[in-house]
Amino acid sequence: MLRRSFAAMGTEVELFLDADESAASLLDDGERELRRLEDLLSRFRPDSELSRLNRAGALRVGPELLELARLSLEARACTAGRFDPTVHDALAAAGYDRSFELLEEDRPGAPRGGAPCGGGITVDAATSTVALEHGFRLDLGGIAKGWAVDRVLSLLREGGPSLVNAGGDVAAAGRPWPVGVETPAASITLELDGGALATSGRDRRTWRRGGREHHHLVDPSTGLPAAGDLLRVTAAAPTAADAEVLAKALFLAGDAGRAAAEADEGGVPAVLVSCDGTTTLAGGLG
Amino acid sequence: MTDHVARLYLAAGSLLGFFVAWAGIAAHPWSTPPARIDPSAQALARYEQRLQQDAAVVRRLRADQGARASVPRVRVVTLPPLTTTRTS
Repeated sequence: MLRRSFAAMGTEVELFLDADESAASLLDDGERELRRLEDLLSRFRPDSELSRLNRAGALRVGPELLELARLSLEARACTAGRFDPTVHDALAAAGYDRSFELLEEDRPGAPRGGAPCGGGITVDAATSTVALEHGFRLDLGGIAKGWAVDRVLSLLREGGPSLVNAGGDVAAAGRPWPVGVETPAASITLELDGGALATSGRDRRTWRRGGREHHHLVDPSTGLPAAGDLLRVTAAAPTAADAEVLAKALFLAGDAGRAAAEADEGGVPAVLVSCDGTTTLAGGLG
Repeated sequence: MTDHVARLYLAAGSLLGFFVAWAGIAAHPWSTPPARIDPSAQALARYEQRLQQDAAVVRRLRADQGARASVPRVRVVTLPPLTTTRTS
């Protein structure tokens, strides 16, 4: 088993490839591809293509950003707006205005109030142009990471059964893989046979402002970090990009009962962990 | 000029001729000088190699489109996990 770990996209990345040393160059390809996508899509890098789009408001972009903008629009439509790529300013207003590693432990003063979400995005495939409604900027954080994981898996799977895990966005191919899901009581192991898992929650990537804790999952309907009794949601989907969107949408359902009903109805395998420590299996997992 | 002085001139001339010939041979006039490596050409070659690598990656990604399973098969098992999904 070939294995590689490294830091990228603001998180820890693990690549697994069930092959002999002759396939090790695929790990190099995978790592290089992930770093290339990070250079393109990070909102924290002023020279990234995403940052240039956010500054310009409209930009002729490369195929990656074009595809992600299109996918984000689809995801917003499919989740009735729970997933929204225009939460950039709401996140910044909540205090998440720089790379997470650079956020201070605490800063005096309350964060600014919520910022409007649901901004217009126009994707013109004919001219490879993305245009944003005035006053809105894109944050592709989660969906970009999931999409990058899918792309890296596509490279690795040439060498044999493989799995990619980028900070909780897991995609696997070639054979069943045991993947752990943290719960308050104990870790659950899910066997993932093709497809992907992603976890969204408020238990990490949190920061304090004026003595109060804030998290990065913004509810686009309020422009504020989401309230509710869910601590974290893990969802399965055909791709890691889809799993990211579904996990976020289920989290924003607000409570475990409603999220479980939606997962059951949509046939989305999901693990729901509530703030009170209860764990609910839904979407056929139970 | 006496024979003695002539021999002295002959010896000095021979020595001079010997050293001139030696210097000429030591300079390896028959070997070509090493080619000067142009740094911009090197950079261009590296860039071209990188482009070829990227193009190969794109070709492979395109070939893989649609190959993914449409429905994930997930179930709870009692095995130890190889890796863990957590909030990112």
